[in-house]
Amino acid sequence: MAFDALGIVVAAFGGVAWGILGGALPGISPSITMALLLPFTYSMGATTAVVMLASTYIGAEYGGSIPAILIRTPGTNAAAATVVDGYMMKLQGRGGEALGISLYSGFVGGLFGMLVLVSLTERLSAVALAFTPPAYFALGVLGLSVIATLAGESLITGLMAGVLGLMISTVGTDPVTGLNRFTFDSPELLSGIPPLLVLVGIYAVADLFAKTGEPDWGKAAREEARIKFPTPAMWRRIAKPQAIGSLLGAFEGMMPGGGGAVSSFLAYNEARRWSKHKEEFGQGSPEGIAAPEAANNTVACTALVPMLSLGIPSSNSSAVLLGGFLMHGLIPGPLLFVSHGDVVHGLYIGMFIANVAMLIIGYLIMAPCMWLVNRPRPYLMAFIYALVMSGVYAIQNSMFHVGLTLGFGVLGAGMKYFKLPVLPLVLGVVLGFMVESNFRRALVISGGDYRTFVQDPIAATLLVVALLFVAGSLFRRLRDT
Amino acid sequence: MRRAPATTVDARRELVLGWAMLAIAAGYYALATRIPESGIADAIGAQGLPKAYAAILALLSIIVIGRALRARHTAIDAAAAESAAGLRHVGLRTAGMLVVGALYVALVPWLGYIVSIAGLIASTVALQGGRLDRRTAAIAAGGALLLWLLFVRLLGIPHPSGIWPSML
Repeated sequence: MAFDALGIVVAAFGGVAWGILGGALPGISPSITMALLLPFTYSMGATTAVVMLASTYIGAEYGGSIPAILIRTPGTNAAAATVVDGYMMKLQGRGGEALGISLYSGFVGGLFGMLVLVSLTERLSAVALAFTPPAYFALGVLGLSVIATLAGESLITGLMAGVLGLMISTVGTDPVTGLNRFTFDSPELLSGIPPLLVLVGIYAVADLFAKTGEPDWGKAAREEARIKFPTPAMWRRIAKPQAIGSLLGAFEGMMPGGGGAVSSFLAYNEARRWSKHKEEFGQGSPEGIAAPEAANNTVACTALVPMLSLGIPSSNSSAVLLGGFLMHGLIPGPLLFVSHGDVVHGLYIGMFIANVAMLIIGYLIMAPCMWLVNRPRPYLMAFIYALVMSGVYAIQNSMFHVGLTLGFGVLGAGMKYFKLPVLPLVLGVVLGFMVESNFRRALVISGGDYRTFVQDPIAATLLVVALLFVAGSLFRRLRDT
Repeated sequence: MRRAPATTVDARRELVLGWAMLAIAAGYYALATRIPESGIADAIGAQGLPKAYAAILALLSIIVIGRALRARHTAIDAAAAESAAGLRHVGLRTAGMLVVGALYVALVPWLGYIVSIAGLIASTVALQGGRLDRRTAAIAAGGALLLWLLFVRLLGIPHPSGIWPSML
């Protein structure tokens, strides 16, 4: 096991700083913050790159609470639950204390999430070598079955988005025959469309397009931004809501579509239910900040459990991180622990450092954060656009790639307009090649015998789980209508 | 399975979506049929899954079109709720962002990175609701220089220098 220790530390600190700054900008979600960084990680070592992206996720989850507390505008969806009591504390002149509770609770939640992540994902490495092409195909199908949950209000439009993603994944050289498909004689399409371009286009560019001309957000006074860490008495008071938030975040993070926002609101509600000071909730309760903040930072770690172990992203942010893995030729899934165990262990170490770094950077970065939040929105959006265009070009010095990214930006903006969910498309793009290549390889090996998919015990189990997953989702949808 | 489109605006939107997806499915299927056959092809072949994806998308599109047509009769006319003028305004600005990006891609080989990215910053500020004045021009120029320093000097990534060096 050999990795660049200094590189990991720098990546963890740098990623957290970038994440806090991005998360603090209202409307810039953790996934967009990560997508903006994605092109810059291309030239880095694999471990350094994935550590930086994961650290950005961790930082962004805390960063979202800064404008939530100071200007009553959550920087991220997950910070929406923090607005209620955070802003009330700020009005009471306790803004610094609220920020301190948010930072400290995020740290506690992050550490708990790390424990869950390491203990659950490591076990999977033991079965990695038993995976055959039918099993990998079944794993891909299980990943795609998640669409049934991620589809939002319409299963049909969710499936449409998923199929679009699968179509995009077929561009390039055919995995079995080596024939060119949908390349239009362009040498730049021979190796397929890099998921990175889809991710940057669909998340970052589409968001810029869709939010064009939106009104500016509120501004905060600098003197409000001095963090005050909790006293020992406050530690004791917020320990229970932190535990509630961490437990719910651990569970929700691993669920497809769960994510930080759902877990934050669940944690807030449960913390209120179990609190001795219920009446303070909504009036500036420290517990009302501790629970959601612990939850969303736990999610930033546990969302990586299905992504690392099965290659299935359960949220937008983990999909972008998956893109970072694929960009470096690493395919998340059981074999990752065997073939690139050093990267996984480097990631664990990096994420642990990132959680500690969040405490330090979170304290130090407040002044530049406030400066950034107080800039006029049109200038910030212009610089983000310039950064995307420059960053995508920098990957392979290709203007063609910049054009493709713009195209995916248009697709993403169109999907927002037509209310097509984005994550199923991303799932299709990242899982499409795995599904097709292993499906066909398995049939070649078995001489065209389809029974191979049920004779392989791992494949059969995964297909049954996928079937149950879809059936469960359909049942829930039928019951709710 | 899903609540029907509640307003005529939703129904119209779904109808457009359905037809657009059907067109994509048809176009993709036509392209898939042009993939040559291979002597070493497996039972599925290079065309197999693309054709299946196109068929699935077409089927889903037809369901959406049917649902939208049915919903048109029952949907509430909420056209007033969604101001057409407002929508057009947002649409134009969004298209403007795309045009700015496309112009950047087209012009950067000639104008070079610094001039093009400064133009992109200034145009985006205007589209996002800012003013095109001296301050914006100065910020765009400063920003372009900063990005050039970051990418070209610090990270060593060569961006197009345009026609300027040949004029010296």
